[in-house]
This record gives sequence, C-alpha cells and structure tokens, in this order.
Amino acid sequence: MDVLNWDGTLSAKDFRIGAIAFAQKWETLNLGYPPWSWVPSPKHPPLTSPQEEGYLSLEKIRISRPKQEDVDQNIKTDTGEEETSCSEKEDDIDDATLVQSSHHELQYYDFHIVYSHTFRVPVLYLRAYRSDGRPLLLDEFEKDLPACSVKELSKSKWTFITQEEHPYLKRPWYKLHPCGTVEWMKLLILGDTSQPKFEVVLELYLLSWFSVVGQVIGIRIPVNVLSDCR
Amino acid sequence: MAKEGSGSILQFAPFQSSVDEGFWHRLSSLKLNKFGIDDSPIPISGFFAPCSHSQVSNHLTLLAESLPSDSNEESSMPAIAQSNRNRCSVPGILYNTNTMESFHALDKQALLKAEAKKIWEDIHSGKAVEDCALLSRFLLISFADLKKWSFHYWFAFPALALDPPATLVDLRPASQWFTAQEAESISAACNEWRNSNVTADVPFFLVSIGFDSHAAIRHLKDWEACQGNSQKLLFAFYDPCHLPNNPGWPLRNFLALICARWNLKTVHFLCYRENRGFADLSLSLVGEALITVPQGWREHQCVPNAVGWELNKGRKMPRCINLAKSMDPTRLAISAADLNLKLMRWRALPSLNLDILFSVKCLLLGAGTLGCQVARMLMAWGFRKITLVDNGRVAMSNPLRQSLYTLDDCLNGGDFKATASVRSLQRIFPAVEAEGVVMAIPMPGHPVSSEEEKRVLEDCKRLNDLIDSHDVVFLLTDTRESRWLPSLLCANTNKITITAALGFDSFLVMRHGPGPFNSTTDLKTETTNSLSAAIDNLALTNKDGRQRLGCYFCNDVVAPTDSTSNRTLDQQCTVTRPGLAPIASALAVELLVGILHHPEGIFAEAEVANSNNSGSPELPLGILPHQIRGSLPHFQQMTLLGHSSNSCTACCHTVVSEYRKRGMQFILQAINHPTYLEDVTGLTELMKSASSFQLDWDDETEEADDECIEL
Repeated sequence: MDVLNWDGTLSAKDFRIGAIAFAQKWETLNLGYPPWSWVPSPKHPPLTSPQEEGYLSLEKIRISRPKQEDVDQNIKTDTGEEETSCSEKEDDIDDATLVQSSHHELQYYDFHIVYSHTFRVPVLYLRAYRSDGRPLLLDEFEKDLPACSVKELSKSKWTFITQEEHPYLKRPWYKLHPCGTVEWMKLLILGDTSQPKFEVVLELYLLSWFSVVGQVIGIRIPVNVLSDCR
Repeated sequence: MAKEGSGSILQFAPFQSSVDEGFWHRLSSLKLNKFGIDDSPIPISGFFAPCSHSQVSNHLTLLAESLPSDSNEESSMPAIAQSNRNRCSVPGILYNTNTMESFHALDKQALLKAEAKKIWEDIHSGKAVEDCALLSRFLLISFADLKKWSFHYWFAFPALALDPPATLVDLRPASQWFTAQEAESISAACNEWRNSNVTADVPFFLVSIGFDSHAAIRHLKDWEACQGNSQKLLFAFYDPCHLPNNPGWPLRNFLALICARWNLKTVHFLCYRENRGFADLSLSLVGEALITVPQGWREHQCVPNAVGWELNKGRKMPRCINLAKSMDPTRLAISAADLNLKLMRWRALPSLNLDILFSVKCLLLGAGTLGCQVARMLMAWGFRKITLVDNGRVAMSNPLRQSLYTLDDCLNGGDFKATASVRSLQRIFPAVEAEGVVMAIPMPGHPVSSEEEKRVLEDCKRLNDLIDSHDVVFLLTDTRESRWLPSLLCANTNKITITAALGFDSFLVMRHGPGPFNSTTDLKTETTNSLSAAIDNLALTNKDGRQRLGCYFCNDVVAPTDSTSNRTLDQQCTVTRPGLAPIASALAVELLVGILHHPEGIFAEAEVANSNNSGSPELPLGILPHQIRGSLPHFQQMTLLGHSSNSCTACCHTVVSEYRKRGMQFILQAINHPTYLEDVTGLTELMKSASSFQLDWDDETEEADDECIEL
C-alpha cells in the first residue's frame, strides 16, 4: 500500500495485527500496568472472518484519585432502599477474624480497544467501578480523569465520552468517540518527514493512537518511546 | 516487620467480594428465561488471584462466566479459557430467592453450616488434598428485583474456626525469613508454578527447601513424600490479602486441613503474593503458627463452628446494587436519545438549549398526516411533552400516510387517533409524556342546534384549557375553519402557534405573531374599556412599536366557513402529494426550534432568506422566517412575511376584545352565523367597497389565496 495516499484507517485484519504488535510493545515499555490481552470474539458478525474478530483488554486498573472524596462517597450510598441490619445470634465474636476499621473505597477501570467497522479505526471503550463491582457513572468518575482531559472533554470536538453498547459484551459502556481519529492519526503517522512503510505504520498505529487516547484516561506513553520506535 | 509477640491470636483478613455487572446481567437473563420461579440453589464459580499490589487486596470476583451460560449463548460461547492465572476458580453456591421476604427469611447460619460441612467432609475424605480448590468455598444469597433492576445480596466465605484459635509465633516478610539464595530459588519456582497451565490455578501448595537451599513446589498430596528430605517445609497459599501483619482468609481452612489430617502443632506458612505478575517476596509473608488440635476434630461427624458472613461497611447487613442505569431499556433509550442531541450540540450547535426542548409542552391539534409527522419530528428534536387532539378514528387508508398508525389500529372500526397515536409514540420512545384527547374542535360555519350547544361550549372550554396548559400549539387539522377557534384562543393568550397547511402539491408553514394584547398593561385596560381607533392601530404593533406578524387568517378576506359541504370527494378528502406532509411537518418543527432559541421568542421579527443576517454567528440555527411556502411541481420554497391585519377574523383587536367581553356567546354566534365575523371585523364593508371599484383582479391573485409580501 502506498503510505502517501493512506487515509488513516485500518482494516479489521490490520487492526488485529496492529493490536497484537501494540500489546507486545506495551510489555516491553514496562509502564507499570498489566499487559493487554486479546479477547477473541464469541460471535462472528457477517462479512468478517472469525479469527480477526476480537478486542484488546486491560482490566482492573486503579487510577489514584484525590483522597478527600472518600468521605462523601461513603455518605452517598445509593442502596436504593434502607436495608435492615439483621441481628443474628452469630454475635459471639470470632477472635480470629481481623476487623478492618477503614473501608477505603477504591475505583477500578476497565479499558477495551475495539475496532469500529464504521470508522475503520480503533475505539477506546471504558468503564469504572468500585471495588465491590458497583459501576460508576460518567459524572461520578469524570472528576478523577486528569484535569487536562476533563477540560478537553468539555471543549474539544473529538474527545468526548458517550455511553453506548459494547459491541461484544452487549452492555452499556463508555466510549471515547472516534470521529476525528482518522485526521489526527494521519497527522501523527505522516506528519514526520520520513515516510514509513505500511508495515511500520501498522506496527506503530495503535501505539501512536494510544499515546493520544491514553492521555484522556491518564495513561501516558513517554514521548521518546514513540520516536525510538521509528 | 515487627515480630508479633508469641501467643497472640492469629487473625485473618476476611475475603472481600466483588461482583461484576456482567454477573447480574446474566443472572437476570437466566432468571427470566430459564429458572423462572425455580429457586433451588445453583452452583457457581468465583475467581480470585494472589494479591498483586502492596496497597490493595484482591477480591473474590464474580463474572458473567461464574454462572451457567444462558441457553442462547451456549453454542457460540467458547469454552472458558482454562487456567487463566488470575482467575483461580472457587466453588460457590447461589441461593437466589423469589421475594425480598424469603431473602430475609433465609436461615443464614444453617446455610453457612451446610457449606462448612462440605469443606469438612472434603478434608476428611481427602478430596481437598487431591483438589485443593475445594478448601475455599463461598456462598451467595440474593434477591434479584428484576422490575427495579436492583439486586440484594450477601456473601459468606465459610471458615472452620479452630477452638482455641491458632496463635502466632512469628510473622514477617518472606524476603526476611529466607536466605537470599532460598528467596531466589523460591521466586523462580513460584513463577514457574504460576506460569504453567497445569498449576497456575492451584491455590494451595507445599514449598520444600532442600539442604542445598534449593526450593521445590509440591502438591499437597505429596506431603508425606516431602517428610525427611527437606530442611524447611512451608504450607503456601495464594494470598489475596495485602496487609503486612495478617494472612488472608484462605489460610483458615488450610490450617484446619493441616490440623485435621496431619495433626501438626507447629505450622510454617507462606502467604504468596505478587507484584506485576511475578512473585514478590517482600510482599509475601512467612509465619509460624501454633495450633492446638480442638477436641473432637479427629471425628468427622462433628463439624466445627463456621464463620464468614461478609460485613457491609463494618455492619452485618446485605448489600444492594441498582443497575437500572445499565439495564432498564427505557433509561437506555433516553440516554441514547440524549446522546444524539448532545452530539449535535457538541459538534454543530453549542448554543442548543436542550433543556427548553425537554420541557416545552406541545399541543398538536389534529393527529392525521401532519399531526403524526409533527409528533415524530418533535420527538426527534428531544421534545418530550406532547398532547394530541383529534376526534377521528384510524381508517384503513390512514396507515400509509399517517406514520404513527398500523393496520392493527384500523381493525374493529378503528381506534381513536388520539389514543392510537399516543400508544405508538410510547412504543417508539417510552420516556415520552404523551397524552391523547378525543375531541372535536368547534368550527365557524358549522351551525349547532340548541341541544348540541352545551357540548360545543364544553369543547370550547376544554380547548381553551388545553391551550392554556401548553406552551406551543400546532394547527394541523385538515380544514381552514377548524383552525379559527384555536387561532383566536392563541392570539388571546399569546401562545407560540404554528400552522401547517397542505394543498395538493403546495404547502404553507407559518408561525403566528403575538396577539393584539401582548403586553401586560394592555391586558388590564383593554378588557373593560371601549375600543377606539387609536388603540386599534396600536394593537397592530408589538409593545415596542413594531408591526405584529399575522396569523393564518390575517391575509384572508373571507371568514372561515364550512369548506367541506358541497364538495366533490377529491376536494373533501385532503388529497395531497404524499411527500408534502413530511416536508411541511419537518419545517414546522424546525421553525419551532428556531422560535424557542430566539431571544425574543414569539415577538421575534421575521427574517427572510438571502438577507444580510444569514450565516451570522449569532444565528447558529439560521434565520427565523414568518412563513414558508413550498411547491412540489417546481421543487421550490420561499420565505415570506405578512403582517397582522386589523380586519383579521381570528387575531385582530376587535375580535379578541369581543371574545374577551362576551366569551362563549361570541364564539357561538361566530359558529352559527357565517357572516357574523365578517361583519364584526369590517370585512363585509371592505368587500363592498372593493366591489364598487370594479377592480380588475388578476387570475394570479386568486391562485395565491392570500396576499403575501414577498421579499
């Protein structure tokens, strides 16, 4: 393929190749996150050969958040209705059970990189939840995103997060909208004077893409990593 | 770490539960499609992994895969990836009750005891030595309220309590307990264990260190074989807990097994923990515990006491999670609809005021071709409050053109359009607040008998109330005269009014100007005072002196009258080109959105296409015209302006004042006497004087049935 006329998109097959290259690269970067894993799709949408379908997954990521919020998080428990505390006869205290005083609420993030057949680019899906599994709404976790990305979210036209059905899990997830991806991917890949081969573009595609997208969720890829890859 | 004083009770950090949303989704689907009211216990699997972070414990996690698959997925789901190293399986059992009452009524002590007994029996039979995953079991009781999408649940991690409890002699980081050489060998051995498909999910094991400091990892069943040929023998387990001074929960049943099967008094244990997927011996702990074998433990008939119900924020109570936001289809539809509108605002129209669109109440008079289409367009724009007024029933010919109806609505004589349309709107978007009113609109030129009078007056009153209680009125009926009363009532109350009218191949969409009494001072004085010519002129202008925009009747020189009698069938039925109604309806709604976003609202001056202000950044929605006329034969559309007429039969000062003074009597007179309105407004006079001039009317003027000023 002639890279000069490249429109910034990927085919589903290229996505898989790029995704696996990215996952391997990720492990060598050693940024302190667990590895991405490729989750093959259980279902095969028409027009795609089965082995190409799937997504990259990085789950249970903790992003540290300001401490002071824990207090009001604990007050605001949305249990719906008040549970009656069942007084049990089991009251004889078991000395061997550690009673922990602090109930530190943590939150976790799951990130999936899914291929969009419409936009022909990777799309970041994410969700956040408490340690007990309770999902968080965007306005509950938005404030924990890096300040710069919150600002971006409110003003920029491409970095907005919307709730949509996860194409494989069929449950509502949040997604970073992919419109605009093609344009800035072309800038990222072709902006350089050196014109890489398409195979190299493919190697780099997801890493370059994630170097932008990751910032929204507070995961940074050091600048030198990208230039080193060239 | 500090050495614990010997003799202190060994305390275990309880297991913590985490339930993935996917678990509840699958449970709901199973409950609805498979289990029904069958509430017998279901075997499920939980997953856990060694602690992998110095500040956070790992949880026992339930995922969608914890449950049996829903039947429809069965064929397409691949077998659960075997031996995922971070998903060590824990056998569990789920008691999902059918009611909240039975959830609370469950005998929790007995259930816990029953699970503990399974563990106890597996220990005695030796099964737990063969398959050590059986040592950690869990129990989940729940009530799934599928109407509210809320789930009440409570976990228990049954642990056999040693009595007296084990005491701690020593507990410190493994890196301090082992020699450097041993530590290195252990790390390597553990990493190998954890990376092998065969052993990665075996959570209990033996670490034997030979006299050459070489470490080997053995299965529990090799315990006898390890005797004698190792310098140190440790009982190791995947520890989900991160705390530096306490081992995690799985050690409890492990100690019970060690005590019951091997009768040891002193136990060295290794709490195996990881960091970034590798053995971390500074996070891992090694401890020495003293066990006194409790009485009766040799006989397996007597099951030891069990503990383990999970606390909720330190209290003994169940947890509750509400997933309406991700499961309730209505809510999902709302958020998807919001999304579309927000995308529009973010990307193209930053000044779009969605709150206005959500809150404005729209009254649609007529639920035919225009009414159906306007309602759909309103919903597309985010309007939620829609009332449809119609007295007709859905006929067989309707569904093709009237987009809210289907054949079902026509059967058995046909449903009322007002009812059928609302039903259809709710099917399209459950969050719509739609209401249907079956009612005829009283019309001038359709005289009523004295028996009917009462009903007609009631209808007038009802229409008046409807208009009062809405913010916007759409005139979408199929005759001219049925628009008269609402036009008058809207002029009287200064409601935003939009008319859409169809010819065979042309249409008119217009917004009515404000009424003659459009400022509060007018309202007070004019109702009582007699009228003067001066005020009459004033009433043609807005409060700031600008000329008012006209209403649908302002350009007419005849009063509305019966337009359906004595017509041929094709004239009576509204025969139009099918594309016309959707075009006109869409324009009518776009016009409304424009009015609502104009700072002056109903008082906004008319703008016309191609004037200087088009494309101005202050007008993100574009210009706000008064009238749009279109014709299909030429595929043409024009924006026009027509000011209010002081002989208008619906909105002029005289008519509105007369209505204010005489109320329903005036309406009745207008309905029963076709020429009354023309007399009152001076139209009769005007026509007389006009005919006396014998002007040479062009055919053209007749065709364009009202005079518009084209700009």
